[in-house]
Parts: sequence; C-alpha cells; structure tokens
Amino acid sequence: MQEKLSRRNFLKLVGGAAAAGTAVAIPVAAKGVGQQFVPYVKPPEEALPGDATWYASTCRMCPAGCGIMVRTIDGRAKKIEGNPAYPLNQGKLCARGQAGVQSLYNPDRLKNAVKQNGRGSRSFEPVYWDAALDEVLAKLDSVDPSKIVFYAGTMPDNLYYLVSEWLTAIGAPAPVIYDLHAALEGRAVSLQAAEEMFGAAQMPVYDIANADVVLSFGANFTETWQSPVAYNKAYGDFRGQAGGRGFFIQCEPRLSATAAVADEWVPIRPGVDGLVALALGRIIIEERLGTAGTLGQIYAGMYRGVDVPTIANAAGLEIEQLHRLARILAEADRPVVIPGGYTAGQTNGYGSYQAIQALNLVLSRLGRRGGVYLSQPAPAETLLTMPAPNSFADVQALIERMNAGQVEMLFVYGANPVFELPQAAGFKEALAKVPFVVSFSSFVDETAVQSDLILPNNTYLENWGYQVASPGADRPAVACQQPVVRPLYDTRSTASVILDLAHAMGGAAAEALPWGSEMLFMEDVASILFGSSLNPYTAQTAGEFWAAFRQHGGWWSDRPLQQEPEPVGLGQRPIIVTAPAFDGSARDYPLTLYPYPSVVMSDGRGANLPWLQETPDPMTTVAWNTWVEINPATAHRLHLKNNDVVKIVSPQGEIEATVVEYPGIRPDVIAIPVGWGHEDYGRYAENRGSNPIDLLAPITDPESGALAWGATRVRIERTNRTHALARLESLHGEGRESLS
Amino acid sequence: MSDSVSRIKKSDGIIIPEDVRDQLLLTTLSDDELNQKMLGPMQKTGPMFWTAVVVLAAIFAWGLYAWGYQIYWGFGVSGINRPVYWGMYITTFVFWVGISHAGTMISAVLRIFKADWRRPITRGAEAMTAFALMMAGLFPLIHVGRVWKVYWMIPYPNNRHLWPNFQSPLMWDMIAITTYLVGSSLYLYLALLPDLGMARDNSTGWRYKLYRILALGWRGTEPGWHKLETALGIFAIVIIPVFLSVHSIVSWDFAVTSQPGWHSTIYPLLFIIGAIFSGLSALGSILVVVRWGMKLDFFLRKEHLDNVGKLVMVAGLFWLYIWFASLIVNWYGNMPVIRELMHDEFSGEMAPFFYTMMIANVVPIILLMFRRVRRSPILLLILTLSVNVGMYVERFLLVSGSLLRNYLPFNWGQFRPTWVSLSIVAMTFAGFILFYMLFTRLIPYVPVWEVKQGRLRYGTRLVGRVQVPTITQVD
Amino acid sequence: MTTRLSDNPTTRLSDHRWGMAIDLDKCTGCQACVVSCHAENNVPIVGEEEAAYGRTAHWLRIERYWEGEYPNVKAKFMPVMCQQCTEAPCEAVCPVYATYHSDEGLNGQIYNRCIGTRFCGSACPYKQRMYNWFDPVFPEPLEQQLNPDVTVRSRGIMEKCTFCVQRIRRVKEDAKAEGREVTDGEIQPACAQSCPTNAIVFGDLNDPESRVSQMARSSRAFRLLENLGTEPGVVYLKGGETRV
Repeated sequence: MQEKLSRRNFLKLVGGAAAAGTAVAIPVAAKGVGQQFVPYVKPPEEALPGDATWYASTCRMCPAGCGIMVRTIDGRAKKIEGNPAYPLNQGKLCARGQAGVQSLYNPDRLKNAVKQNGRGSRSFEPVYWDAALDEVLAKLDSVDPSKIVFYAGTMPDNLYYLVSEWLTAIGAPAPVIYDLHAALEGRAVSLQAAEEMFGAAQMPVYDIANADVVLSFGANFTETWQSPVAYNKAYGDFRGQAGGRGFFIQCEPRLSATAAVADEWVPIRPGVDGLVALALGRIIIEERLGTAGTLGQIYAGMYRGVDVPTIANAAGLEIEQLHRLARILAEADRPVVIPGGYTAGQTNGYGSYQAIQALNLVLSRLGRRGGVYLSQPAPAETLLTMPAPNSFADVQALIERMNAGQVEMLFVYGANPVFELPQAAGFKEALAKVPFVVSFSSFVDETAVQSDLILPNNTYLENWGYQVASPGADRPAVACQQPVVRPLYDTRSTASVILDLAHAMGGAAAEALPWGSEMLFMEDVASILFGSSLNPYTAQTAGEFWAAFRQHGGWWSDRPLQQEPEPVGLGQRPIIVTAPAFDGSARDYPLTLYPYPSVVMSDGRGANLPWLQETPDPMTTVAWNTWVEINPATAHRLHLKNNDVVKIVSPQGEIEATVVEYPGIRPDVIAIPVGWGHEDYGRYAENRGSNPIDLLAPITDPESGALAWGATRVRIERTNRTHALARLESLHGEGRESLS
Repeated sequence: MSDSVSRIKKSDGIIIPEDVRDQLLLTTLSDDELNQKMLGPMQKTGPMFWTAVVVLAAIFAWGLYAWGYQIYWGFGVSGINRPVYWGMYITTFVFWVGISHAGTMISAVLRIFKADWRRPITRGAEAMTAFALMMAGLFPLIHVGRVWKVYWMIPYPNNRHLWPNFQSPLMWDMIAITTYLVGSSLYLYLALLPDLGMARDNSTGWRYKLYRILALGWRGTEPGWHKLETALGIFAIVIIPVFLSVHSIVSWDFAVTSQPGWHSTIYPLLFIIGAIFSGLSALGSILVVVRWGMKLDFFLRKEHLDNVGKLVMVAGLFWLYIWFASLIVNWYGNMPVIRELMHDEFSGEMAPFFYTMMIANVVPIILLMFRRVRRSPILLLILTLSVNVGMYVERFLLVSGSLLRNYLPFNWGQFRPTWVSLSIVAMTFAGFILFYMLFTRLIPYVPVWEVKQGRLRYGTRLVGRVQVPTITQVD
Repeated sequence: MTTRLSDNPTTRLSDHRWGMAIDLDKCTGCQACVVSCHAENNVPIVGEEEAAYGRTAHWLRIERYWEGEYPNVKAKFMPVMCQQCTEAPCEAVCPVYATYHSDEGLNGQIYNRCIGTRFCGSACPYKQRMYNWFDPVFPEPLEQQLNPDVTVRSRGIMEKCTFCVQRIRRVKEDAKAEGREVTDGEIQPACAQSCPTNAIVFGDLNDPESRVSQMARSSRAFRLLENLGTEPGVVYLKGGETRV
C-alpha cells in the first residue's frame, strides 16, 4: 500500500523539521559567542565513525621519547601502542607510556589559563589567554632580562630550541633544566662523564642485547632508567641469544626489579660502587685474567694505589667474591659494565661513574658489539637538542639568587621543584621571594600552587614536537610528535605561547623565532632532515617529506649506524674514588635511605593517573601508597611487621610510611619509592603516601654537583598504628610460588 | 520400643508402658477437651509475644533495607572479595537447608518406621522445614549480583533459544530446593486438613472464616480419611529421596569444584547427616520454647524432649564419625594445600572458629547421653542452641574458610563480613522466628488428629477375664 | 600435553586453538602488560581500600615469588591471566551459560548474560576471574578513552581476560575480507603487543609452525597447575639458569 505524500503532509513534515531546527538553534544562538553551527553528523574528513585512525607520535611520559602509535576513534584517543618502525622502542611501550591517554583525559586537568588569588590559596580565576599573555608581556617589559629564569624539566627538543633561542634573544640566562627523574637516573652525570671521558656529551648506550655478561651498578634499566623500553627489549634479546642466555650481575643494596631478573645479586653497601669497580679492574690487571688482563696492562696506571682487601671490607664483600666477579668479567666474550643512577646519586658519584666506565675500557668494550656506544647526535647541527640537565648545585645557586632577590620572574615548565627538590634545599621559601611566577603545568601541582599565573600546556597528545633519541637506538633517529586529537580544552602548547610572546615582544625575539606557528616551525625542522642520505622513506619534495615525517612518527636512518666512544679522558691517570659520605651520624641514624624511582610513578609525575596508581609495584605488589622496605631481620630487631606505620626520621625531616618486610634489601638500608606524597596534583595523587625526597639532605657530589640522593641516613620510629596496604599479594602466602 | 516394653508396669489392671502413655498422651481427656487444650493457647498472646513480634519485624525490615542497599550499590557492600567469592550468604543458605531436613526426618522417616511418639511434634517439625526452606530460598536471590536477571535460571522458552546450563550444580540446587519446598509444604498442608477442620468447627469470627477457607471443606468422612492417609503415605515415601537429594546437591555445589577444602566425595553424607544433626537440634530448641511460650506441657512432654534429645545425640555421633572420617583422610593424605587449610584451622586464623565448632558440637553430644539432661528443657535448649552455633560455624569454615586458601599462595584471601551481610543474615533468622511465631497462633501446633489416632492404637481389651494391652494397626 | 590440546575434540571443531606462551626468562615484571590490558579492555580501577581488600580488577597480574633468604634471595615474576583452559572448571558450573567454550578454544564470557553467582570465580583454580563489586567509575572525561570494541561491565557480573577477543575477531574479519588466512603473529593481544621484552607470544596452537606452538614444545614449557587437568591454553617457559 503506497501512500502518496500529500501537500498537507509535506507541509507538516517541513514545519516539524523547521520547528525542531529552531528548537535546537535557539539556545545556540542565545549563547551568541560566534560558535559555528556544525552538526555532529558531519565527521572529520579522515574519520569514519567506529573505524580507528592511527597517528604516529612521540611519548612524553619520560625523557626517553619512545615512538608511539595512537589509536583514535571518532576523534578520541583510545589506546597508545609502541611505534613498530621507530628504532628505539620497536613497537613496545612501558606501563607509563600506556597510561598517557589518562593524562589527556584526566578529570583534573586545567581547562584554561588561570590566575591565582594569592599564591598558595588554591583559588583560581579563569583568564583569557590574551589577557594572561598581556600580563606576562607587561612583566617581561618591566623586569631586567637577566632576572628572568626559565626553570624546566627535561623537555622535548623543539621546546628547548624555541625557549633557548627566545631567552638568548631577550638577554635572559639559559634555562635551568632539572627534574627528579633525570636526577634519579643520573642523566646529568652520564652526560658530564661522557664529555670528559669520550669527548662528546652524548648519552652512552649499552648494547645489552648482544652482551654475554652484564654487570650493572644500580642501573634499573628494566624499570625507569634512561630508556627502559629499549633496555627491556634489549634484555629480552639478551636472554634469547642463540649462544646462551647470558649472565647478568646487579650490584645494588636493594634487590630491585632489575636485580630480580639478574642471575646474581650482589648486595654491596651504598656508595661503594666505584670502589668495587676499581677493585675488579685491579684484580683483572694484576692477575692478568683473560684477554683483558693481558691487553689491559696499559691501563695499570688507572689502578695505582687500589687496595683490594680494603675495598672488600668497605663494600661488605668477601675478597673471593670480588675475584669471582673479576674472573667472570675477564673471561666473558662480550661483557658490558653499566653505571646506574644510584651510583651517580652518591657523594663520590662522579668518581664511581668513571671507575665503572673504565672497566669497559679495560675490557675493550668501547664501540664493540655487546659493549658501549654513544647516542647519535642530531643529524644536523641546526637542530638544537636539549643539553645535559643542570646539576643540583646549579639549582642551589638559583635558589640563592632567588633568595637574594635576583630573580624577578620565574617560568616553570615540565618540572615540579616544590615536590621534587629536598625540602632542606629551601626552594619553596625562595619561590616566595620571586615577584612573578608563571607555571606551564597542565595540572595544579605543588609548584603551580605557588605561582601567580598558570598557562596550562596541552598534553603531549595534543602537541607538536620533535626529539632526538637520547640515549639513542642503534642508529640516528628523530622522533616526531604530533597532535592526535584536537586540544580538549582551552589550553595552549607552551611552544606556541613562547612563539606568541616572542612575536608580541618584537625586535630580537621576533627575529629569533620567525615562525608564525609551531607547525611552521616543525615544517622547518622536517626540511632540515629532508635531504639526508639515510632516509627510511622516499620523498621527492620537502612537502612529501613533511607528510612522511608525520606519518612514520619521525625520521631515522635506514641502516644501523653507531657511534664509537673515544676514550680521550681515560688511560694512565689514577682514578680517584673517595669514600662515600653520608648525612647524619651512624649512631643516631643507623640506616641508610635508598629512595628509588617507582616503576609506575616514576619521580611522581605518574601519580595523577589512576591506572598507574592501581598498578602494583612489581616487587612489593603494593599500589596506591608509600611503603618502606625493611629487611626482615631489621624489622624483627625493631619489633616491626608488615603494615605497621612507622616514622622515618632523617636529620632533615621526617615522614610516615607503612612497613613492607622485604627480604631483598641489606639490613642496614631501607628503601622508599619516590612518587607519592603529593599535596596537590589532582584527586588521584593528593594526600596519598609520603615523599622520601623530603628527608634528603641537600648534599652534592663535589665533582659533578649532582644531588647525593642516596647519601642520607635515617632512623625508624614506631607509631603503633597500622595501615592495610593495597597489596596484590596475600601476606599469608609468604611469597611462595607453590605449595610443597 | 523394646526399652519401653521392658518397663511395663502392672497396676490397676491397666498395662500400658509408662513412656508410651506419656508419649501418646493416653489420658482420660475427651476429644473435645483435647481440642480445647490445643485451640486455647493459640488465642493467648501476651505483651511478650507482641514485643517479640515487633522486634523481629524490625530486624526483618532492616534486613530488607540492607538487601536493597546491596542491590543498589553493588555486591561490594557485602564483604566478600576475590578469592572468597562465597561468604555469609552461602553459609547461611547451607545452614537453613540443613535446618529444613529435620522436619522431613521426623514426620516422614518416623512415620514410615511407625515411631508413634512422633505424633505431637510432627507439625512443629514440618513447619520448621517449610519456613527454613523459605529462608534458604531467599539466598539464591540475595546471593546473585544481578537479582533482576535471576529468572534466566528458569528454563523458559524464548526466541533466542537460550537455556540454562543443566550441568551446573546451581541448577540442580534450584530444582531440588523448589521440589523440596513444594513437596514439604504440601505434606505439611495435607496433614493439617483434619485439624483445620477441627479448628473451623471450634472457632468463631475471623478465625472461623480463615479456617473455613483453609480446611478446603474437610468433613472427616471415611473417603476423606482414606485419601488423606494414602496421600500422606505416598508423600512420606516420596519426600525421602528428595530430602536426601537436596543436601547432596547442596554439598555438590562445593564438592564438584577442585577448590581445596571443597573437593571431597564424602560431602553428600557429611552434609545430610550434618543437616539432620542441626535440624533436630533446632527442633529441640523450638519445642522447648513453644512448650514454654504456649504452655503446651500437656502435648509436649518431657518424653518427647527426651526422644528428640536422643535423636540429636545419635545424629551427632553419626556426624562426628563422618566428619572425623573426612578429617583423617585429609590429614593422612597430607596434600600441601590441605595441610595449609588444616594448619589454618588448628592453629591459624581460623582456629577460634574451629575450636568453637568442636566444643559447641561435641559437648552437647556427650551431655545428651544422659537422660536427666535430655529431660531438662532448659539444658536441652542450651545444648541444642549450642549445636546450631557449632554447625553454623562448621558451614562457615567449609564454605568461606576453605576459600581463604587455594593452590596459588599468592592469591590467598581474607574475609570480613560487613553490616550489610550480617543484617541480611539476621533478617532470615528474624524472619524464620517471626513466621514461626505467627504460625503457632494461627495453625494448631500439635496435630490433634494424629494424637487422637495414636490413642486409638493403644488400648486394653478383655480376653476372657484378662485385660491385655493391645496395639492396633491403623495406618 | 601439547599433543593433547590438538587431539581434544573440542579444539578440533575449528582450525584455530588460540594460545599464549610466556617466557618467564624474559619477564622483567615491568607492568606494561597490566596497564595495556586496562587500556584495551576498559578494566575499571577500584581505589586503595578496595584494592587492599582483594578487589582489584586486573585481568592480568604479575605474581612475584620470593626464594631463599637474605643475602641469597631471589625473586621471580610470573604474569598470570585467565588460562583459557580446554577443560575449564568455570564453564560447567555457570547456571546460565554466561561462560562458555568457543570453538577456537577460548573461554568466552558473556557479560550481559551473567547474573553474578560467582560460582565460576570459586571454581577457578587460578582465581583469575574478577567480579564487579560496584559500578565502574570513569570521572569525566576519562570515559572518552574507553575502547568502543569492549563492553563496559556493570556491577554484579564477572569479567576476565578474553585473550583480547575483539582483536582476534578484527584480524579474522580483515583476513576474510581480503580472502586470506590469518598469519602467525598478526593477532596480538594488548599485553603481547606492549611487552617490551617479547616475553608474551600469542598465536595458534593448532598450527605446528606458529611461534607459540614452537615455544610450547620447548623443554622449558610447563602449564600452571598442570596436575589439575584443566589443560590451559597458556604455556609458560620456566626461567633458565646460567652457570659460570
């Protein structure tokens, strides 16, 4: 039965539609802020509803800068995977990288620029971006440029490029780069040492994958250290080698997750890493162990005055054990020795670092398969890359300047110094003396709370950028970061804010940063790379290259190309490793504190992501809170048991944490994960656990200026309270695998 | 009965065993007087009665609120977790199913074995079965995460051809318990008919109207009696396999899994005998309370309590035997995970519960061996309540205690009941007592017709010049 | 063991028997798989108190075992997820067939059929079935991350690892559309895809040439609680030892 559409019905239909249209349109019109009336049914061109679009980009959850592929559906980011083509992480990604989407869709993100009604008040007023930038410009105009400081965490290279050019142009000092993650992984020390020993400030890359013996001094490379995904991948290959599964030794006072997968864990005393390395070198050369013992005789001068029994005694090891380790190293075909972050976090860190690296020289492992390489620098000198982070001593100098009123304006990007620096360093107090503080944080973190203006950065999934992998892969690589979704809120990338500021200031600043937008800047970056003979993809024009650069998630050599370190600064000169010094007397503070970066929280920047909060720590299986790891014998002596809340007291302060009896730690050491203890930083992070950094003494290694974060002594006091930690593991199970 | 026969006394020419006389209420009271002795107390409700009703109703209502709270917020409020997926609800479910077993045991098994002393207490036992099953029947509803979808367990035709899984012991459970509930309710109701008729004939007002409807026109005609006796005879036999199957199936809810502490071939037996043990104990407690509350000393005599006590004691000994058989096999088997479970019970977390169970169950078994204890209502009450505490704890240890341990020590558990689960459990106890109390005031608690029938069986007859006791086969 | 899997009539119904091999020698306990699983499968988070009470919803957990005492102490990691048993104890006990056996060897879990008796959770010897104790919470705009291919589970139902069945289906359908067979390694569950050490390998156990089959034939291969006869689809390769 066919019904003809009568004129009357037709009018009814049209009328109905019109009425419906008005009903929808009126409220939109009433808003009247010039919004476009675009129906939802019209999708973005490349997006099919329900069909996934993948964007290649770069992870910014830690400085490693892995290549990622982001799955987006209907304009929303759903899942982050590793970029299989990117040579650094080869399609793999870590827990923190996976959780990146939760920083994009975090409920506690700042939605627009805000002004704080009095620092620390936590009462924020939204401001228009133009007004906010005007205010910043007015301040920039009125202050002496030398009193402007840009404080940053490890930042993507593009931002470093723009910021450093801008600061130079306006006559301000270079940015101060310091964050806790970099400090805990010993990034600055690695680069400083590489410059002194190998003549190039590039991160060393340890070819674990092809080594047959790996000796690591506190390098937690399967957790957070430097480039954990790449090193995890390498570890998997190390175990899967055709010639055998290799032998891995970890020297560290605590059985970290990395030490847990080692074949042998050597629980040395804190701060003796370098001494042990010296002893090993001395034994190899003195006893002419293996080929290294013969060939390495030319390096005998480095070990002049090294007394093995004294070192064995200081390290708490048997002489036989040192001999055994030396023999294993010397008789291996492809051994590699790795100095870790904990090594660098001692008062003798720099010397130790050199002593450990010297073993690679003695063993002839520089630039050899399964040995040590250097990261490839940027393929073009015009492509600026972030240099070594500043030392803690530099930060202390900054704090002094702030206290002396020599800082009038402070920008804070990508770092949270109020949380990350030892309280005793006095950053927060010094900050109060800075008249104008601008934070670029996407979240209200502890430092943002102490600032006047927050100009929230986009999250990395909404931003442009590039990054030269450091530590690098087996070939030169530049990762491309591109927005995978439109910015969720009225936030702006800090790079574009810097560009805007430079343009508005005019003059030298505008000339130094001629790019109209950060995308144009990125196109320029791509054009620098275009034309390299190492291209992995064919592109005829710069435009094609720019498209391919984004599609592939970066640029890299089509064949392996590794940089061999030249031992310019090593050889005959004796290596001096001083005895480690600790803050606090051994009588009042009998235990040494080992604050370590949590595999999920990193240095605390992961604390606002619920997935990471709920992910159990691999060793203790605890989630959501701070714990303190105590050897069962020590716990027994102090009448402590699991879930007891204790007070940890250092000469600098005290915190509370819950006891975890931990069989894998020296009885004279306690370990506390870093990352919890936020006062601000969103609902998932706030008022949860405590921050062991608060306990640290602001002491440094005099040679490198690095914070000696492993050199504070503490004592434990009971509180007679308990707290049920969220442990995945049953305490009744007593860690057993099976029942028998 | 051999025990009674040996103590036959000769006096005044009437030769009836004394026990039998008491058990069968062989008095000189007329039928009418008997009727009044039953109907009278039913209409007496003092302030204590009503206070109890109000308190119990309040607990029941609070439990309903807790249940609603649980449905609204999710099962998380109930205190179970992974791996202790089954907690108070399943424990209490097993407990109530267990209680229900005594009614059938008393009325069907004793009927078949012609244990005449059962007559005055059958109704109380059957009512207990019905109400306990009702409470047990709530738990499958309480216990599921999405109660609004629970009808998916019913095999109803639907256009998606979705059927329930008849492999699942929960399906067997549902079928067995429904069958048992229907069967035992019918059994209870059938046996009620003559008394409802009697009550109708002896009451006025709303009670008359109620009994007239309930009695279904019972007139006590010869064909009526004949059909009733036939039906009861059939029911008594048919209900016994159902009764055995129900608790076997409940035990298979656990025993068919590989969960350590659950997986055992002896569980059907252990559960059945445990059910009879706890059910008879509950009956003992109830009889003492009802006898005191309604002043039914005439019908419920110490001889009945004595016999119930004996049954409890015998069931207890059986239970103890099977429980011990289960224990010793596990002990000697010495399988690691079972060893952990036993360690947990003997000297670990569960030790307080374990020793509570041991003491609460074993002490009554021993004490009930003494006649004087059995004949003391207050002692019987205390001891039978103790058995029920013990048996509740036994079920808790079995259901939740076992789940605390498994083959993977990493995933061992912990368990803390919450106010919600405790309220819901309390609700079923309150509900059971409340319904039972109301029942005693509405329905003749003692089956008067059965008592009368019993009196008919025993008599004396002149044979020549000698008066001899006679026993007549009536059923 | 391996041969038994392919001999089993329930697995022969289809060409595939999806399985997983996990090389414990390579697992570093880095938790990448755990977070990846949360992201892919809309696994809710529960918060500290609930987590402390054994109510985390991780479909995949890394168990850590201690061996020995200080200083000769060792720790081992073992990722445990639903073992996708061939003779699954969970399947028989579900009264409504919410959990069932697929012809490709998977233990399917039909969320909207589940009524929440938790019988499967009690029957599972691996304790690897997770219950939704409350409705999941995704404060705005976190819900924008949710994977549209995977149902968000309401309160009162069971959930567990599915071997990322949505990914299996997508690859199979893509292969079918292109008129070809699924190739080995083409299907990657979220955990295997992210695993930085390549410890987790997924594939078809019915294909003797697949990597997972090859690993399953390793002399290091074992299955979790093998003696219970559940015939898991997850094969572990025990950690090795190097002598020097």
